[in-house]
Amino acid sequence: MDEQNGNGKSAASGPGEALISMKNIWKTYQMGTEELHALRDVSFEVRRNEYLAIIGPSGSGKSTLMNLIGCLDSPTKGEYWINGNLVSDMSDDELARIRNKEIGFVFQTFNLLARATALHNVELPLIYAGMRAAERHDQALASLTAVELGDRVTHRPNELSGGQRQRVAIARALVNNPSILLADEPTGALDSKTSIEIMHLFEKLHSDGNTIILVTHEPEIAERAHRVITIRDGRIEKDERIK
Amino acid sequence: MNILETLKLAFSAIWAHKLRSFLTLLGMIIGMTAFMVVLSLLQGFNGYVDEKIAGIGSNTFNVQRFNFEDFKDTDTINAAQRRNTELSFAELDFIRQRAQLIEMIGAKAGNTSSAVRNGDQTLQDVGITGAEPVIRDIENLDIAEGRYFTDIENDNAMRVAYIGRDIATNLFPYGGAIGGEISIRGIPYRVIGIQTAKGTVFGFPQDNFVQIPIKTFGENFGGLRRQRAPFFIARPKDGVKTADAVDEVRTLMRIIRKVPAGEKDNFGIVTPDAISGLRDSLFGTISTVILFVPAIALVVGAIVIMNIMLVAVTERTKEIGIRKSLGARQKDILQQFLLESGMLSAIGGLIGLILAIIIGQVITAFVFPTRIPWWSAVIAIGVSAVVGILAGLFPAWKAARLDPIEALRAD
Repeated sequence: MDEQNGNGKSAASGPGEALISMKNIWKTYQMGTEELHALRDVSFEVRRNEYLAIIGPSGSGKSTLMNLIGCLDSPTKGEYWINGNLVSDMSDDELARIRNKEIGFVFQTFNLLARATALHNVELPLIYAGMRAAERHDQALASLTAVELGDRVTHRPNELSGGQRQRVAIARALVNNPSILLADEPTGALDSKTSIEIMHLFEKLHSDGNTIILVTHEPEIAERAHRVITIRDGRIEKDERIK
Repeated sequence: MNILETLKLAFSAIWAHKLRSFLTLLGMIIGMTAFMVVLSLLQGFNGYVDEKIAGIGSNTFNVQRFNFEDFKDTDTINAAQRRNTELSFAELDFIRQRAQLIEMIGAKAGNTSSAVRNGDQTLQDVGITGAEPVIRDIENLDIAEGRYFTDIENDNAMRVAYIGRDIATNLFPYGGAIGGEISIRGIPYRVIGIQTAKGTVFGFPQDNFVQIPIKTFGENFGGLRRQRAPFFIARPKDGVKTADAVDEVRTLMRIIRKVPAGEKDNFGIVTPDAISGLRDSLFGTISTVILFVPAIALVVGAIVIMNIMLVAVTERTKEIGIRKSLGARQKDILQQFLLESGMLSAIGGLIGLILAIIIGQVITAFVFPTRIPWWSAVIAIGVSAVVGILAGLFPAWKAARLDPIEALRAD
């Protein structure tokens, strides 16, 4: 079931046991009179506690796929299930709820709010989840402590190093106990030493039971995952287990 | 996301750009200040008129030759001058003897303007009125020194005077006004009482008058005719509605004047309600017009706020993208920007209100009574918040509709 071809059909018939299930996903953009297929009939599944890397050159459709997995966008055709929710037909606000509950984003450029403290940045998903202030504060603090930033909670992003900023972002991604941690080139803006630190952190998070999807164009980063999906021209070219 | 959370967020966004927020709000502040100052002047004027009415006795009413409606145009004035005869003491006695609902009724006459002298001191243009002694009780006169004149003094047309404070100070700079002598048109009067000082209102001195017994006034000023014809002031008994007392007096007047049923009165009755009604009809329109001008400044202020909110949405596209990626719904973003512009505008309104209160205090101290009623202050803040929310609608809607992917890509 893991060994799938982009053109092949998914073995599973429903969401089944898979945490994520993409079935015959198409994403088509209308460019004037021409149709541009960013994704062509993509199907795959991700199970709980997998560590998956999605790799591909720029223009391969990898970013489009990431946006779909992250529920920032909806497919043109096909079914997308996440944790038992069929999200491919959801409205904008329903997608916002799924992003809030099921997805923890880690971005290349961290995407922290510059004016807010580390703690407030980490609290944001909980604020939109409607959690009370006291509970929120404790949970955000615990999350920051887990990434070893318990002593930096009142710092603003510009008072933190790149590695620390990315750890704040990871704490924010994890604070709501999402189904998946979705990282988009998480080391792209970091030096090699810090990159290694961050990749170690991902490994630790994986061993703690988190499901991680890493989107990258760097093979050496992808190699750290346990499964690699290679995207080319909008199709899955390869889907292999490496550990 | 709850409202309190959003309010905190809105405030921190405004606070983050203090100077810009302040400059944005200048229009709002100036508009609100101008609006509230004008309003406080109008309110001050209304309050003064109301106080005056209350001072006379909120339930006293006047019987006089003409009605307010008679002054509508020259035709009605001419018609009223032919129909309405001057009031007479016979009519006053008729009412006095028969009215059941009236506690007191008395006659006054004047004002006649004249020079008043004491030795080589002369005051020009002093208002001279004649009054029956009962007027003191009807008008609740506030006597500072001495007394008002008595029935005997009136019946015998004695030359005694009850004067305003200005007359006493100017003609008797060294004191001794009570018992002193003033001379009007060559006739001497003995000063028997001085009224408590009232100051000036709208530039009109309130303490520049001489009152003498109405009979004395008639004898020494050419008879109680024409401008000097008497008018009556009546006070209803306690517990009697003014309207009922007015009806009774009107009926008695119609009886003595033999006005046929169905024909309109050939005299006028002026109640406090009629006075405030007249004021409202005169100043209602003017108020609307002069409040309209500062209201334009408020509209301009709102446009400036809308403009700055559009800038804020563009500047914070990335932030909106981040918030959306973390689960903010359209509603959350909409609410965030609406509250921000509403709060921005309300702060402007509040600053404008505070400035208006300060300016109002200064005006009250030096020129003119002003008043900002609490409800208008509440409305001012409310209106500015609503104006801000309206100005924020379009920018907030734009922000809420942003595509999260596009927004995250922004710098």
